[in-house]
Amino acid sequence: MKKLIQFKNIVKEFDSQIVLKGINLDIYENEFVTLLGPSGCGKTTILRILGGFLEPNEGEVLFDGVDIAGIPPYKREINTVFQKYALFPHLNVYDNVAFGLKIKKEPKDIIEQKVMRMLRLVGLEEYKKRRVTEMSGGQQQRVAIARALVNEPKVLLLDEPLGALDLKLRKEMQRELKRIQQEVGITFIYVTHDQEEALTMSDKIVVMKNGEIQQTGTPTDIYNEPVNRYVADFIGESNIIEGIMQEDRRVVFEDKVFDCVDSGFEKNEEVEVVIRPEDIDIVPAKDGKLTGTVRSVIFKGVHYETIVETKTGTRITVEMTVSDPKPVQNISADESMSANDFYIDISDIPELTKGDIIARADAQAWKTSTEELVSITKVDYEVKAEKGSYPVTFSTASGTAVAIHMIVADENKVENGNEVIYAVNIYKTIDDIKESIVLDTDLKTWANAQAWTADGETGIAITGVDYDFEQENIATGTYPITFSTRGYEYKIDTTEKYEIGDRVGLDFEPDDLHIMSREG
Amino acid sequence: MKKHIFTKIFIGLTVIFFYLPIVYTVIFSFNSSRSLSVFSGFSLQWYQKMFKNSDMMDSIFYTIVIAVLATVISTVAGTVTAIGLSKSNKILKGVTEQINGLPIMNPDIVTGIGLLMLFSSLAVSKGFMTLLLSHVMFCIPYVILSVMPKLRSLDPNILDAAMDLGCTPVQALIRVIVPQITSGIFAGALISFTMSFDDFVISYFVTGNGVNNISIMIYTMSKRINPSINALSTVIIGIITTVLLILNITPIILEKRKEKRKK
Amino acid sequence: MKSFRSMAYPYIAWSMVLIVLPMLLIVIYAFTNEGNSVLNIRFTLENFARFFSDRVFFDVLKRSFFIAVMTTLICIILGYPLAYIIARMKPKSQIIMVLTVTIPTWINMLVRTYAWRGLLEKTGLINSILSLAGIGPIQFLETSFAVILGMVYNFLPFMVLQIYNSLSKMDRSYIEAASDLGADKVQAFLRVTLPLSLPGVISGITLVFLPAVSSFFIPKLLGGGKYVLIGNVIENQFLTSGDWGFGSAISLIMAIVIIISMQITKRLDRDTSSEGGKL
Repeated sequence: MKKLIQFKNIVKEFDSQIVLKGINLDIYENEFVTLLGPSGCGKTTILRILGGFLEPNEGEVLFDGVDIAGIPPYKREINTVFQKYALFPHLNVYDNVAFGLKIKKEPKDIIEQKVMRMLRLVGLEEYKKRRVTEMSGGQQQRVAIARALVNEPKVLLLDEPLGALDLKLRKEMQRELKRIQQEVGITFIYVTHDQEEALTMSDKIVVMKNGEIQQTGTPTDIYNEPVNRYVADFIGESNIIEGIMQEDRRVVFEDKVFDCVDSGFEKNEEVEVVIRPEDIDIVPAKDGKLTGTVRSVIFKGVHYETIVETKTGTRITVEMTVSDPKPVQNISADESMSANDFYIDISDIPELTKGDIIARADAQAWKTSTEELVSITKVDYEVKAEKGSYPVTFSTASGTAVAIHMIVADENKVENGNEVIYAVNIYKTIDDIKESIVLDTDLKTWANAQAWTADGETGIAITGVDYDFEQENIATGTYPITFSTRGYEYKIDTTEKYEIGDRVGLDFEPDDLHIMSREG
Repeated sequence: MKKHIFTKIFIGLTVIFFYLPIVYTVIFSFNSSRSLSVFSGFSLQWYQKMFKNSDMMDSIFYTIVIAVLATVISTVAGTVTAIGLSKSNKILKGVTEQINGLPIMNPDIVTGIGLLMLFSSLAVSKGFMTLLLSHVMFCIPYVILSVMPKLRSLDPNILDAAMDLGCTPVQALIRVIVPQITSGIFAGALISFTMSFDDFVISYFVTGNGVNNISIMIYTMSKRINPSINALSTVIIGIITTVLLILNITPIILEKRKEKRKK
Repeated sequence: MKSFRSMAYPYIAWSMVLIVLPMLLIVIYAFTNEGNSVLNIRFTLENFARFFSDRVFFDVLKRSFFIAVMTTLICIILGYPLAYIIARMKPKSQIIMVLTVTIPTWINMLVRTYAWRGLLEKTGLINSILSLAGIGPIQFLETSFAVILGMVYNFLPFMVLQIYNSLSKMDRSYIEAASDLGADKVQAFLRVTLPLSLPGVISGITLVFLPAVSSFFIPKLLGGGKYVLIGNVIENQFLTSGDWGFGSAISLIMAIVIIISMQITKRLDRDTSSEGGKL
């Protein structure tokens, strides 16, 4: 195949904002090339530069080996199917398609022949006298394609041509476009943000991000061998796991060594491992390379998307003592007051303030009649940095007072490999629990639950809050509450339905693992 | 029911209010006597007098020539400008639209004296040219104003599409843009014609050297009772009514012809 | 495409010379004396001092303002009901009525105003009709009545069309919603239709007040030579006495009066419509 178009180090700026940062790309004859990327990645700009509607700030575009800078759009052997088609509303279908030929002043009978052939190609010969404004989106789309192709361009540019169509029509037009491209045998350059469209139609996909090409390759290459996390994420669903390349064809993740087919990384280089959901098989737990628990199952029409957790996160369990105390009443001052016992870490004692104590004890005072809050003016306590129980008394200006205990304990934490999780035991009232709007979050706050990396540098989100009571029907007593961080999860496409909670094994072959360098 | 009668009477009275002076003018232009209150018989004497009065005939001539020229020039210039503006950046567009609004918003007398001082300061002798320039000046904003919305409603890629299919920029404008904004261009032309044809205030300040339009003629003659004015007025009413009829009927006829062709 | 953008450049240059420059000249001349040549202008506030020190000019300004306000009010009082009636007609009748109101505006204002002279004369049609009822003859011409009548006659269509536009564009479901919420017809009108049509009234006011305050041929044709409004003073300065500086100063004063009046009107609109929002 012959190189038809070469982009050489194309740079484009708009208002001193760089939208293309040095694009190098070769496009061959008869290729169906797709520029794929999110909106604003520069893909349409490339198309407009090729069409002649924009001039690049740097670099050159070669067409058939000739630099086409300065050649106006109407002299280029390139035609475009525009976003929303840009059909001429004052002309009917026939005249829209014939437009380019009439401009070139071709003989009338030739025009007639060519236009009718094109309308047959797109299946619209019955509609030639129809006004374009009276046609459906799919039909307008076909008119736009016919109008461009009738000029026999060497390249057809398509700028998100299916964006305005509904899903069913879009699928139909995808097949249609591919058929047309094969029939006319010219280069199609197709711009889209829809990865599925790109995978079904293209000979070559160019994945773009922020004005740069991330990867160029066939759909299979890009799908199976994404060069980085961005491409892997953009093209299809994938499981991306952090790992270390021990040596060529040997990668470590989840503390296990696996065979793979990739090589060329440095020894012990930190990498990311991609496994496509359809490449993982669920097997009995004893046969799996990894084992885990089914966490969720979603029916996706043809298959189930099953999520298996192989490693649970770090967990810590604390006790919550629930009581149902009556607030202290001070009838003469029309005041009520409440507070509860609380646990505190020894390490927090040196920096303890009265405000902390009020907050931890949930101490509140209010006017009994109006429920208007009254400020707590005095906090009496004595505490040492030693384990034990210490009395605390809160009081208001008018003498209402409540006494509670502050229990100083060792730091309650759990370490698990690289993670540490902290939480303290808590005392709560039935009302606190019942009135909570987001109980999980409140429990985290009350128990001061936090997780960190072992070096204490980075916080880790606590994603699991497990308890065994119903918020509505809480009674006094002691309840265990477990906080946990996220473990490793795998998304797997299965045809069989698994139950949540099943223990299963995961199996995959060495060539199902795709190793990528870590980004940035 | 009562309400209905009230509205009918109200509408009837306003219609009389609007048309009484017009009908009155036309009728009394055919009066055989000088009186403006008693119709004493049919006669064409005031028309004869008008046709013999070379000043009056000149003013009719100037009015029509200026109106036609101003319409053609401002329609072309306004359309070209509107297309240019539609492709310009926001600031240039905004500023130009603001300036464009000045002649529309300013009292005519202010526009008139401004132009008078401009022409005198530049030592341009007042007459046909200053009159024409002034009319073009106050007509273009109306053309731009009626063409701009049409341009705004076009597909933003339509020019690119035309050039993509082999049109040069000029061809793209003529074959693709102009056909789609024709209604706006016509509306602009119609407004320009009537604005120019009826203008008095601005013309009054910028003309000179015996070049007068009908409005100025009426104003200067109105000091004495002169039924020739009624004849002149009737001519104006006739011309404008004809123009309006043609413009309102032509689309209907075209539409009917199209329908016939469809059948 | 740069080539298309450049199509606007000639007009931009043109508008600088024929629109912006004349406006600048008015401002410059308003602050100068020393004759009409641009070459020997000198800054001065004399023109303004002269205007405000002479009661005659101030009275003229007051009278012009009064006439314009009266004209505007009468146009609203007559125009709103008419626009309202038209907007509630069948679509075909609406088109006919809108044309009926529009057509007179296409015909030369001077022609139509001149006709009123014949109608209002002592021996004219209106006095003849009144004499049948034993009234008159009444001196109409050369009174404020004739001037205001001429202005209302000329400018009423603008008011009607603006109000009609805002009323006909209004979504009928607002009124239905209002009656659904328990408003009777009068309440629905006062609380929904009227506030929503106010923008139309405001642009109508602009289109009536502006030409009314600056008009000079209507007072001349119907008010006679003695009836002087601000427009006539400006006309005289330029075409009779040739004092551009003073004429420009008066124009500037008039422009400021207009701008202030318009701001007040817009403020009123904003206040009432924000009140409407509280419903």
